[in-house]
Amino acid sequence: MKYVILGNGIAGVCAAEAIRTLDLEGEIVMVGDETFLPYSRPMISYVLDGSEPHDKLPIRPADFYESMKIKPVLGQRAVSLDVENRRVQLADSTCIDYDRLLIATGADPRPLRAAHMDLGGIFYLRTESHVRQQVAALSTARRALVLGGGLVGLKAAYALLKRGLEVTLLITSGYPLSLQVDEIAGKMVLDELLRRGLKVLVGRSVRAFEGNGVVRAAVTDTGSRLPCDMVIIAKGVLPSRDFIPRQHIHVDLGVVVDDHLQTSAAGIHAAGDVAESVDISRGCRWVNALWPEAAVQGRIAGLNMAGRPVVYPGSMSRNVLRVYDLDVLTLGHANPGPEEGCRIVWSGGPGKGRYRSLVLKDDILVGAVLVNQVEQGGVLCALMENRVPLRLSTSRLMAPDFNFACLLP
Amino acid sequence: MFDPEHSLSVTQDADRLYAKAREDGIETVWERHTAQQPQCGFCDMGLSCRICVMGPCRVDPFGEGPQRGVCGADADIIVARNLCRMIAAGAASHSDHGRDLVEVLAGVADGTAKGYKIRDEAKLKKLAAEYGITTDGEDVLVLAGELAEAMMEDYGMRRRAINLVARAPQKRRELWDRVGLTPRGIDRETSEMMHRTHMGVDNDWQSLLLQGMRNALSDGWGGSMIATEVSDILFGVPTPRVTSVNAGVLKKDQVNIVVHGHNPVVSEMVSQACTAPELLALAKEKGAQGINLVGLCCTGNELLMRRGIAMAGNHLMTELILSTGAVDMMIVDYQCIMPSVGQAATCYHTKMISTSDKARFPHMEHHEFHPDNAEAKAMQVVRTAVENFVNRGRVFIPVEPREAMGGFSVEAILGALGGTPAPLVEAVKAGKIRGAVGIVGCNNPKIKHDYGHVTLTRRLVENDILVVDTGCVSVANAKAGYKMPEAAEMAGPGLKEICRALGIPPVLHLGSCVDNVRILVLLSALADALGVDISDLPVAGSAPEWYSEKAVTIAVYFVASGVTTHLGPMPPITGSMNVVNLLTSGLNDVVGATFAVEPDPEKAAVFLRQHIEDKRRALGLDARRV
Amino acid sequence: MKEVIVHPKRCVGCMQCMPACATAHSRTRHLVSAVLETPQPKPRVHVGAGRFNEGFPNRCRHCDPAPCQLTCLTGAIYRHAGTQTVMIDPDRCINCASCAMACPYGVIRFHEDPLGPPGRAVAVKCDNCVARVAEGQIPACVEACKVGALTYEERDTAMKRQTLAVARSMSSGAGEPVLPPGVGLLRTMKESQVQLLKG
Repeated sequence: MKYVILGNGIAGVCAAEAIRTLDLEGEIVMVGDETFLPYSRPMISYVLDGSEPHDKLPIRPADFYESMKIKPVLGQRAVSLDVENRRVQLADSTCIDYDRLLIATGADPRPLRAAHMDLGGIFYLRTESHVRQQVAALSTARRALVLGGGLVGLKAAYALLKRGLEVTLLITSGYPLSLQVDEIAGKMVLDELLRRGLKVLVGRSVRAFEGNGVVRAAVTDTGSRLPCDMVIIAKGVLPSRDFIPRQHIHVDLGVVVDDHLQTSAAGIHAAGDVAESVDISRGCRWVNALWPEAAVQGRIAGLNMAGRPVVYPGSMSRNVLRVYDLDVLTLGHANPGPEEGCRIVWSGGPGKGRYRSLVLKDDILVGAVLVNQVEQGGVLCALMENRVPLRLSTSRLMAPDFNFACLLP
Repeated sequence: MFDPEHSLSVTQDADRLYAKAREDGIETVWERHTAQQPQCGFCDMGLSCRICVMGPCRVDPFGEGPQRGVCGADADIIVARNLCRMIAAGAASHSDHGRDLVEVLAGVADGTAKGYKIRDEAKLKKLAAEYGITTDGEDVLVLAGELAEAMMEDYGMRRRAINLVARAPQKRRELWDRVGLTPRGIDRETSEMMHRTHMGVDNDWQSLLLQGMRNALSDGWGGSMIATEVSDILFGVPTPRVTSVNAGVLKKDQVNIVVHGHNPVVSEMVSQACTAPELLALAKEKGAQGINLVGLCCTGNELLMRRGIAMAGNHLMTELILSTGAVDMMIVDYQCIMPSVGQAATCYHTKMISTSDKARFPHMEHHEFHPDNAEAKAMQVVRTAVENFVNRGRVFIPVEPREAMGGFSVEAILGALGGTPAPLVEAVKAGKIRGAVGIVGCNNPKIKHDYGHVTLTRRLVENDILVVDTGCVSVANAKAGYKMPEAAEMAGPGLKEICRALGIPPVLHLGSCVDNVRILVLLSALADALGVDISDLPVAGSAPEWYSEKAVTIAVYFVASGVTTHLGPMPPITGSMNVVNLLTSGLNDVVGATFAVEPDPEKAAVFLRQHIEDKRRALGLDARRV
Repeated sequence: MKEVIVHPKRCVGCMQCMPACATAHSRTRHLVSAVLETPQPKPRVHVGAGRFNEGFPNRCRHCDPAPCQLTCLTGAIYRHAGTQTVMIDPDRCINCASCAMACPYGVIRFHEDPLGPPGRAVAVKCDNCVARVAEGQIPACVEACKVGALTYEERDTAMKRQTLAVARSMSSGAGEPVLPPGVGLLRTMKESQVQLLKG
């Protein structure tokens, strides 16, 4: 049996390890764009903010490929996939045959369309190499511009503030984290960052950059000029699935998978940020590009590829963010639109040092936002993942003393 | 478990003030109760023992872990010792309160207690006679001195029996003598209780509990009774009067002074100072229309009974009342003053004053009141309160006050009946009044505030059972509207008829928690009128929301006096089913009464009605099916 | 292999396991001195209140697979090969709280720990008292528990004991094994109280 894994991110790594628990002999080939050892992608913002050194990024030992008997093909991307002949072609035109294929190619930063993107000092924040370059650039940087008020944007802004830079955050929507949290929690995060010296511009985007070799300013769509010597672009990610033949494999935003993480083509599985699975809390297909989901999906995909059928229960959005004295944890469908027929209950808010909102559909918890006192978040998450009909009052779930014991019969 | 979706109280002022307190960031008893969950099961069952330092010890109620403390005490002994120490603490509290009054009486006699006087000479003479002091032609002050001296003797160790035991019906006294329950000295019984519960003294759980009962009787027929009677001598025997209750008694345009605690020794002097013309003038000068003195807890009840002073609330209201922002000063003496109130007051302009050398509190200014300086001290602190009026911030008075009638001393009740219990006895015999229940005790965050009191009262009154109440219960029932003669409408037809004829409410306010002894005196009068023992009467006691050691002692002296008594919260005794069974059934054979525990007041009402009908049947009166 | 087994019906909520746990995870390992340590050791077993305020000793189940381990960003959470204990390497932990959203029991806390790196908060949870067990002692929470709510035994032994107890009471016609009367009485009272409070 020959397994080919496209991608050496956490989904690919977990898949390879899962395969090896069942199949010690089969051949495993791992194709990876990044040449660095398997590392913790979410940790790069910790490297940027200086709390962790770059050399702590790897999450597997240096002999990972060797000890797992994996043939690594690094610095390469797949460019085409021949489903009928079970063959993958790489950028350098080499071809690899497979019996079982895992598409775990992840996602790439959504590109910014603006003039003079080639100037120095303009970065995305996605890979260890990005962060390595950013850390190197810190010594000369004074004024940073961060584009995008999502998780990565906030983490970048927080990191650069911690590094002592003057930071301006540009948000297209009305408040940060608008995809993850409601307005109240978003405002609490914003207040905390503003209190620490962050400048925020709302409802604006960048049209062009100016500079001489290196960036010196950004020009916004309203025509204003924002001086800066470092830019981090964080406008979200897009699944890396351009090489996939759509006539053979069902691709939506991501590669659509079934409840065994198999794509519409037999023998081809997908996992991680490229995969589109059913979102438990939303009840529809969704790409949840999240590290913990990628780890679980990789593991389950690997087991299925090696012949042990394991059901994947579906994905669910979840995120945790620590900004100075504020911990923010979001779960599931935390910020539904008014037309979706959800009931939202909340307590606390700005000035109370604590906020908690719960989103319910009928008597099922489908979303939650916790600001501070996040330790019981996993209990709520389990209730959502298992779609347990609530027996407790929502106020009990929101009370500071809520704990697992409250759920016991 | 605190659940903000459910209201904490059956009273509107509590709910509104709680919301305000939380908004102001004040931590209340409910948050602390939640934070304490789960509460220790060993302690809850009475199975933990901290008496000696071979321990601390605990016994496994499941029978697998340790079954004896280091000393060898088993569950029965440990539970009994713990309960007995609660009784001793409760008896000590009430009785020490009584002693403070006897000291004032002695001070009046020798002229050192300036500002105090004998307000009821008749009562003084009656008491003196009961103590065997010749009253003919004696000077009042000499008499007071001799009575104080004799009462002090009751606290001592040298008597065969304390004096006021003689007030109990003869059958009861004979029973006590036979079983060995006659209390010999107020301090003596408490002292002996502490001795017996020391490691290696009394290790028979039954004999421990018997001493517990004797100790409780030394309070009920001793310390507490002295407290009530001497208060009447010094401050007057209560007579029915109408006043107002709930948080609405605070006034926006007046200096509000709240007295909180139990002993009228301080609050009476404060009450006098509040009428001083110079301080009223000062209040005007500060922009206030007057000085509004109101009560909290039992010191409030003492003032309400004798002066018609308005009542702001009971135990669980003591923190909330501060969140009105309208309290210019709170003056406390002792007992049931949560150590947190001073902290809560720091959110507002409220000045907090502690007054007793025995009781100090965080975040309070200490102004020690003694009989010889109380008058001057009262003037001083009231002046400070008036001066504080200008410092008020936002004021939130959540409700309008409600009218209530209080002041039903035994003398007043008998007076209303024409000087004899006979009309009441006749009404009971005729079945118009089925019987009576004394509802007493505290508040407890384990029970929705006032729910137990008000629900039980409603069910009893509806069923023609006369309710007498004291302490926190009386405030709850007053707020619920049971304390006006019009409330007769809420009573069953028989009780309604009697209330209307006499112009009294169906729920009679007998006073503070030491005034529970008025119930003992009233029951003795009824028993004597019928020629029976107290345990034969169609009566019962109840403490639906009790929390304190004093309440344990009261309940035990009720039962030891022959009054079957219901408790809302479970006392810490379930670690020993022997103790549970003795207290809930075995005691019937010893003192003719037992305890019953039932948190649900609806079910408790059924139990109490059943009990009363059973007693009626035994007396040969008509009995209803419940 | 022996492990800590929780018997929820037995817990009386005395919380004695909590200071015992904190002491076992202090530097000095004596209660009196442990409370004086900086940073203060904290319990890794948490007695929470159930719906009727009954106690429940909530501790790490050392799940397999462990959601916290799968979600850990840095690989700080790992399984101790000998004891199957899920452990956290405090030096690898970056205090990101990802495990907080993974743990279905809510047993992970974040604070500076006497046994972790100084001056830095990390994720902290039960380690099955590996240090004590290596010294021949039993886990501290089990030692402190006097009601048998926490036992240290083979899972099979505990299951057999439970099966036997059920079988005995069934065959004697008593149905499910009953609680001692005092315990049952108190629980009934407390349940009634809590229900009234909500009503």
